Amino acid sequence: MESTPIKIDYRRCNGCRKCYELCPMDIFVLDKEMDMPLVAYEEECGFCGICWMECPKRAIDIVYPVSFW
Amino acid sequence: MARQQITERVIETDVLVMGGGIGGCPAAAKAAEHGLNVTLVEKSKLERSGKAGQGLDEIGIFPRDGLTPLEAVRIYLGKSSVYDRGGTERVVNPRVLFKLFDNAMWALEELEKLGVNMKYINGEYGWMPWGFAAGGELGPKVELRVHWQNVKPEMAAGVRKRGINVIERTMVVDLLTHNGKVAGATAVNTRTGEFIVFKAKAVVIASGDLERHYNSPTPHFWKYKMGLNTCPAASSGDGQAVAYRAGAYLSCMEMMRPVTIRDIVLMQPGQLHLNDGIPAKVFTWKGDEISRPPGPLQFMELERQGLAPLYYSLEHLPDDFQKRLEVHIADETMLRLKMSQDRGFNPRTHRYQIVGDRAVRFNNTGIVIGDNLEALRGVYAVGECTDTYGIGAGGTAVAGFVVGENICNYVSGAGEPPLDKAQVEYQRQTALAPLAVKDGVEPLELECTIRNICEEYGGTFKSEGRLREGLKRLGSLKREFLPRLMAPNPHYLMRCLEVRNIMALAELHLQASLERKETRGLYIRLDCPQRDPSLDNRRVYQRMVNGQATIEMVDVPELSPDFVKEKK
Repeated sequence: MESTPIKIDYRRCNGCRKCYELCPMDIFVLDKEMDMPLVAYEEECGFCGICWMECPKRAIDIVYPVSFW
Repeated sequence: MARQQITERVIETDVLVMGGGIGGCPAAAKAAEHGLNVTLVEKSKLERSGKAGQGLDEIGIFPRDGLTPLEAVRIYLGKSSVYDRGGTERVVNPRVLFKLFDNAMWALEELEKLGVNMKYINGEYGWMPWGFAAGGELGPKVELRVHWQNVKPEMAAGVRKRGINVIERTMVVDLLTHNGKVAGATAVNTRTGEFIVFKAKAVVIASGDLERHYNSPTPHFWKYKMGLNTCPAASSGDGQAVAYRAGAYLSCMEMMRPVTIRDIVLMQPGQLHLNDGIPAKVFTWKGDEISRPPGPLQFMELERQGLAPLYYSLEHLPDDFQKRLEVHIADETMLRLKMSQDRGFNPRTHRYQIVGDRAVRFNNTGIVIGDNLEALRGVYAVGECTDTYGIGAGGTAVAGFVVGENICNYVSGAGEPPLDKAQVEYQRQTALAPLAVKDGVEPLELECTIRNICEEYGGTFKSEGRLREGLKRLGSLKREFLPRLMAPNPHYLMRCLEVRNIMALAELHLQASLERKETRGLYIRLDCPQRDPSLDNRRVYQRMVNGQATIEMVDVPELSPDFVKEKK
């Protein structure tokens, strides 16, 4: 079920791995087959916005979670 | 190159810096300038790690414009019970404060040499015309408005240029000691699970504060438990815990900073109530304007009168101030702007719901700094993991430079650190144990239980019975479930090690709260509602001696004229 607040648009992602490199909570992993980042530990997201700020292709969107409403 | 170094089992270095935030980077850079071999261990990635990872909008404590460092110390200590500092008069060591204030202007130059942009507009410093630093007590013009969205990439570049061995995605497990002296540390790579041993003559702890023993200010009932206002990676109290286990003194663990937060949902950071010089108006839910409640007790009183929730309103700010505020937020946490939009929130027409009785539980206290304590030689600490109690980003950076500047004096006489194989083996087994546990406890679940115990039995309003019950529950939790923590991979091993630290410090927090039987400033004991004058200028010291926890009340040192003369 796709419910993570961190949405990666794989049509835009160029696989530069910046989000994977920079995330302070290390919630991304690299998918070996795709060679693209995946959100693996979404429950640990600290909502700092670093992946979203740094993504050179603007491929990451952080959607305000319902439980924060 | 870096890869090869990581595959070494043992890394030898003069100085090991634990944590690469705005305290650790200056300390490492300055020590390296003095020709020392420096290794920096960082749990995340240096370019965006720590509390300033996503940015910062102001940095303060620069005594200038006629304010001397000594006056700054007096003002800071004299008035600090008024605002959000929990009645800290003489809870902070005035000698440490003096060193920080005295070196602040020098540190400002050093920050620029490190490659950090300190200028605001048109190549000029942005000295803020109103008092905000240290709770506004130091008066105006001691604080810089900075565009620090990229402060960490800038600092990281400065650190890397100085040839410091940066080891990332690595978490320190424990310190290695020998005869009351530090000899290094052990660590685990949180992606590969590799166990690394550092031999070091001195260790600088710059690991940030402790927040994760309490729920986040807006408790999330669903799964995003790390949704705090500042970097959760840097608020598990790793530095305090390893220092404590190695025999260093911790102090003021009972103190918290219940800061009034602007918005219960967004945790809007930035200038809080000041809004670039025009204070926010405070309204009750009925729309009556009131003055800002200074502390949790006043909040509780308003709650009792049925006037809650309370709101900050910025509707009266002129348009250009609204814009300025947006720049503030963009400098500090840009994501909040997007989140405001997502919620359809507009400060020109909406009001922020503020919280004051259940607030941010910064526990930025801990490792005792001071030359008179010989508990554990060779351990230095800077920033929010120390007993400077909320001196903020300014104090952290200054402390980093001061430690980096002076550490070579210690290192040159420290001698070769011996490696105690049995100690290393013990730490390896303790650290890696969760990898072998099957059908055990998830670290986040245990962490949430610790948080609930602290909320229920500690919290803003404490009392003896509750604290005792909390300690009992924490004790059984520790016995039953700490050995059953499981980590299917190195990532979860990091969380297990964090929980081990949070558990240790939560216990110290409740024990210290039991020890301070009084109400002082924003430190509230419901069963002892009066301030106890015999506890003036005294603070709680906690230390592990031969595996036993000890606790005592110790006098805070005086700021003697000799000390002031001596300087640096």
